[in-house]
Amino acid sequence: MDFDLTKLLFTLLGLLIVLNWGILMSGIIRKIGARVAKRYGIPVYQGWIDLIKNYAIRSQITHGIMFYLGPVFRLSGGVGLFLFMPMIFGSEHWSNYSFQGDLILLMYFQFFGMLGMALGAGEGGHPNSAIGISRGLSQFTTIEVPMTLAVIAIAIQYHTLSIADIVAAQQGSILNWTVFTNPFATVAAMLSVLGAFGHSPFNLVKAPNEIPIGPPTEYHGTFLGVLRTNAAILHVIEAVLFMNLFFGGASNWFELFLKSFLIYFWSVFVGMVFPRFRIEQSVRWFLKIPTLLGIIAIILA
Amino acid sequence: MVSPIHIITIGLGLAFALGLLQGFGKNFSGILMLLGVAAMGFISFQWLVAFFTSGSTSEIFTAGFKPPYSINLMMGKHEAVLASMVNLVGLLGGIYLWDTLKKQGFHAMLVYLVFIMGMNIMIMTRDAFNLFVFMEVVSIATAGLVILEQNNKSVQAGFKYMIATSVIAGLFLMGIIFSYYFAATLNIDGLANANLLAIKGGSLAIFLVLISIILELKPFPANGWALDVYHAATPGVSALISAASATAMYFVFYKVLGIVGDSWSQVIAAIGLLTFVGSNLLGTKQDNPNRLLGYSSIGQMGLLMAILGFRPFLGEKLEFIAFTILLTHYLAKAGLFWLAGIIKSENLKGFAALRKKPFMLFLFGTFVFALIGFPPFPSFFGKWELVMHLANGHMYGWMFAVLLGSFFEGIYLFRWLGYSIKIDHLALPDFKVDWNKIIPVGIFAIGLYVAGYFTSGFAEGGTAINFIPLFFVAFLLMIDFLPIIIKNTISIAAIAWYSFSILPPLYEHDMLRFIFAGIFLIGGGLTLIAGYAYKGKRPGFYPVALLMYVGLAQIIEAQNMLHFFFGWEIMTAGSYFLIIRGKRSMPHGLSYMLFSIGGAYALLAGFGMAHAGQASLSLDVLANVSQNVSWIFGLLAVGFLTKTASLGLHIWLPGAHGEAESDVSPMVSAILLKAGVFGLVILMIAMGHHPEAANIAYILGWLGALTALAGNLGATFQEDAKRLLAYSSIAQLGYILFALSIMTHLGWLTAFTYSINHFMYKAILFLTIGAVVLRVGTHNMYEMGGLIKRMPFAFIAVLIGIIALSGVPPLSGFAGKWLFYNAVIDKGWYFQGAIVFFSGTIAFLYLFKLIYSVFLGQLKDNHRQVKEISVWFIIPIYVLIIGIMIFSAKPQWVLQPLGEMITSWYPNGGLQWDGGLATSALGYWNGSGIMISIVIMFALLLSWLLVMSRKAQKVEQFNIVYSAERPFRPETTHVSYNIYAGYNKALGFLVTPVIAAFWDSMDNLVHSVAGFFRKIYSGNGQVYVAHVVLFVVVVYFFAIA
Repeated sequence: MDFDLTKLLFTLLGLLIVLNWGILMSGIIRKIGARVAKRYGIPVYQGWIDLIKNYAIRSQITHGIMFYLGPVFRLSGGVGLFLFMPMIFGSEHWSNYSFQGDLILLMYFQFFGMLGMALGAGEGGHPNSAIGISRGLSQFTTIEVPMTLAVIAIAIQYHTLSIADIVAAQQGSILNWTVFTNPFATVAAMLSVLGAFGHSPFNLVKAPNEIPIGPPTEYHGTFLGVLRTNAAILHVIEAVLFMNLFFGGASNWFELFLKSFLIYFWSVFVGMVFPRFRIEQSVRWFLKIPTLLGIIAIILA
Repeated sequence: MVSPIHIITIGLGLAFALGLLQGFGKNFSGILMLLGVAAMGFISFQWLVAFFTSGSTSEIFTAGFKPPYSINLMMGKHEAVLASMVNLVGLLGGIYLWDTLKKQGFHAMLVYLVFIMGMNIMIMTRDAFNLFVFMEVVSIATAGLVILEQNNKSVQAGFKYMIATSVIAGLFLMGIIFSYYFAATLNIDGLANANLLAIKGGSLAIFLVLISIILELKPFPANGWALDVYHAATPGVSALISAASATAMYFVFYKVLGIVGDSWSQVIAAIGLLTFVGSNLLGTKQDNPNRLLGYSSIGQMGLLMAILGFRPFLGEKLEFIAFTILLTHYLAKAGLFWLAGIIKSENLKGFAALRKKPFMLFLFGTFVFALIGFPPFPSFFGKWELVMHLANGHMYGWMFAVLLGSFFEGIYLFRWLGYSIKIDHLALPDFKVDWNKIIPVGIFAIGLYVAGYFTSGFAEGGTAINFIPLFFVAFLLMIDFLPIIIKNTISIAAIAWYSFSILPPLYEHDMLRFIFAGIFLIGGGLTLIAGYAYKGKRPGFYPVALLMYVGLAQIIEAQNMLHFFFGWEIMTAGSYFLIIRGKRSMPHGLSYMLFSIGGAYALLAGFGMAHAGQASLSLDVLANVSQNVSWIFGLLAVGFLTKTASLGLHIWLPGAHGEAESDVSPMVSAILLKAGVFGLVILMIAMGHHPEAANIAYILGWLGALTALAGNLGATFQEDAKRLLAYSSIAQLGYILFALSIMTHLGWLTAFTYSINHFMYKAILFLTIGAVVLRVGTHNMYEMGGLIKRMPFAFIAVLIGIIALSGVPPLSGFAGKWLFYNAVIDKGWYFQGAIVFFSGTIAFLYLFKLIYSVFLGQLKDNHRQVKEISVWFIIPIYVLIIGIMIFSAKPQWVLQPLGEMITSWYPNGGLQWDGGLATSALGYWNGSGIMISIVIMFALLLSWLLVMSRKAQKVEQFNIVYSAERPFRPETTHVSYNIYAGYNKALGFLVTPVIAAFWDSMDNLVHSVAGFFRKIYSGNGQVYVAHVVLFVVVVYFFAIA
């Protein structure tokens, strides 16, 4: 592998853009959420303030090596997904290191951060961490079912697993987007994404209201900063993945911002409307309509 | 040369002399009797040697006339062999019965002598009436011996025996009279030449002769009288009845068949098999050792009878088949009865006392394995040839009946063996071992091994078998008294030496076998290293461990089906003993064995059907089969799937692997299961030549997918760490089955990748968890927790293991996942594929549970001082980790040669390689590049965090923010038990153990059927005679019809 400094610099710049967009997007969304709930809400720049504050906190504790490595795994997972994701269609510079692996790599690399974080939180020894992780993993298994079916459907459709090629195949007209050419796969995947983003009704994993302690409390200061950094990146990247697969990709950063915002907003929108599922309900839910749609997508493809 | 007539003169003369010389005391009489038997044995043996050296035989004409005017005796090959056998067991049996005979005095000795002599004459005589006379003599002598130990039971049994045999003798006599009437001779050869069947009424004469001999062989169900004899007689006498009388009577049957000809073959085969199957079925309900052995004896005689019924199909192998099975029965059954006489237990469970004397346990195991037909014993080769010939004659129904009967026999014999090795909570009865009792047993056990070695050469393809490794196992057995360090070193050295001699040439010529030999041998060597962690002598471990590896090596070496099956059975035997070593492994050992022999019989039947009509025994004939293709491949698949524990045939695995010892679990999981995979590969290579086999592959594909799902779900709900890994193995083997069934280049590449990966990570996980279990003393994960603090090396190993298993990049598991997607989409098996991927995500559940519950969370108070796992476990674990790391960083080093190998079967659809970049028709992946990117990124981020949090302070265990209070008990803070309760609520119904319930109901069915039919044996002598008469009537009508 030849070392290419320009590429590296572009990639780092891209990462910076994604990070900041992620923070901003999250701020906007939280603001919208607050307004829907008739609250004033945080300022949209709250994310940056939190991040700076977290990184600046001096007193920090650790529960051991794995606890310490958890956030590193987590952030590596997020950054890695970014690295292997082509961001802007047709741009050599903004395709990052996607030449190293295809869609399957991205699907499986998601687990890298999750697994590391789960282990790190596990070493913290907090019971709620284990409960949260067990719920998260449970839910995740069935979230992946419609997603997998959708991925298989589009792989059949486009005869490729390369994301760049999938995006390329959707160019030309808006009607070439997968959402129009393969609506069942898209719907299956878009239902699946609700779980992946972890908003209501699938937010029992983090249980933000009932369990105000646990991992986020155990992980504080720099650790929390790392986790927040990752969250910002990850939200964008996951949205970009769906954008690439189903919504024609992006040919410039603005398009990327818009599409990723809308995709992310979809999950928030649903979350505002629907109440939370218990874990067994959500596990079953993904195996019903979304899976059925995925199966239809494959049969049609 | 001493004339065979002196067998009679010695017998009769000494019998009289015993009476005259009784004043010299019982010891004198006893020695005289034994000398007499020895002399008879010497004469027969001398003729045996003479026949084999110069081909000489002897025919004696009494009274100076030739038949039909006199009685003539024959001492040919058969007679010499069988008389020698009878006399040998007579001599050893006499030694064994020394105390009993001495107690009863010279009368008993006289009876004994006449008993042996009578059987010699039964074997030698060529005269029908003379035969009748000596059958009566033997019958009376038998009854006399039965009441050697006089008690209510034995006297009753002796009486019933007399009633039944006199009825039978009456039939025989009538038959002889009729025959004489029609043929005007009593000479057997004369009767044979008289062609009685052609004469009106002659067939009735023949029927009576035949049926009475059949009745003497105790056919099911007209054999209650014989069972009671076996049950009631002292075991030393039962041994003689089973080994000597049955041998003599079998030969009588053989002689009589000369008169009968082939026209009754079907009837004989049917009665024989009914006896074999029925008797063994009823044996499953027995718990008295003597009675059980009686059932087994009768069953074996049924099989032998059936073999003579199959005579027209067995051709020149008839003698070989009959003799090997007879010889095994003779040696093993005598040995077992003798052992039963030493233990003196009324219940099978009492044999647990054998554990106190490992040598006797070894003898017991030898007899059991020999009876079932395991290698290297003669019956293995006999049964093999039998099945091959039956299949060749397209007698599939008969063939399945033979296998079914053998399976029933396996049920009770292995249950019994399991009791003796492992049953718990039992006061072990004390028993005394006299030299005169154990020496005969030992001689017969050795005889089985020697006979097995020599018979192998007579079976087709048997000369290919390499016995040297088995001699090494025998050597290990002999040095079993040495400490572990020596035995382990010798074992590892042997495996290393063998690896160096076999692996390089295989690498050059046969990549497929190289891969599996590598897994078996390198895996074997590595897992043995862990053995150094054990203390003491570990009796019995090394012979059986090496036995398993020898079997595995033979499978690799095998080029013909017999050799393959030989290795397969050797491996099964070794692994059975390894598995049953676990503390609570008794039921799991049995279920492993039953599935294994069931699978092995499926293989045997498949091989037989494949061999039918083909000249060669080579494994390559599988590719050329032309008829019954689905049956052949289906049977072979079932055989191999029992070893890979696919869904439906998997219920033995969790217990067997979960309860095995710490270093045995990786042997039987990471290594042994690959034998099934190797078999499947061989099978599917053959299936590749048959387009019609695609249906089987399709079914296997679904089976693999569902196995993966069931295995992973099963693992998710385990609380026992080793069972969790065991279920995981089921699932992983499901992936491999699925990938193989795809039957494309990428499918197979996936399968091989998984096989290699699974070997490495499952060995790591099982070794590590096993080592942890050794330290903490429990399998239950919820009783562990926080062990990362005490066992960092173990933690890292499990971490690497689970990342590799889960398929998360950058470790080698991802190679498998990536290939999987490509293979599935390429093949178009989307839905099966989706199930497999779903299973893959479920794997995260149990993997997290494993590492979290054991190593993370809260450290328990009783583990605060626990030490890191033994260095002897760490060494092999970290060698394997290095292997995974190399595979992960340079996947092309493994995948490229694999791809080239697969090209020979599937030339198209492989990967394109450009350095580390692999490109398929669908996607691309650069393992090395990803590894580098991730390592660099991880290192950078870690350094950044290190800089940012350099003042981070390590806190105490319970320093967590927890609902405004501080927990202090790890038990209530460590969330582990039933951690996936929600998941269980949602999907737990999928793991309802319906399959286990199915097998349980089959088990119940067999036992209830056996229990029901067993009621025909009422114990009433009149009823037994009625059975005999009814049997004759029913057979008559069937036969005439």
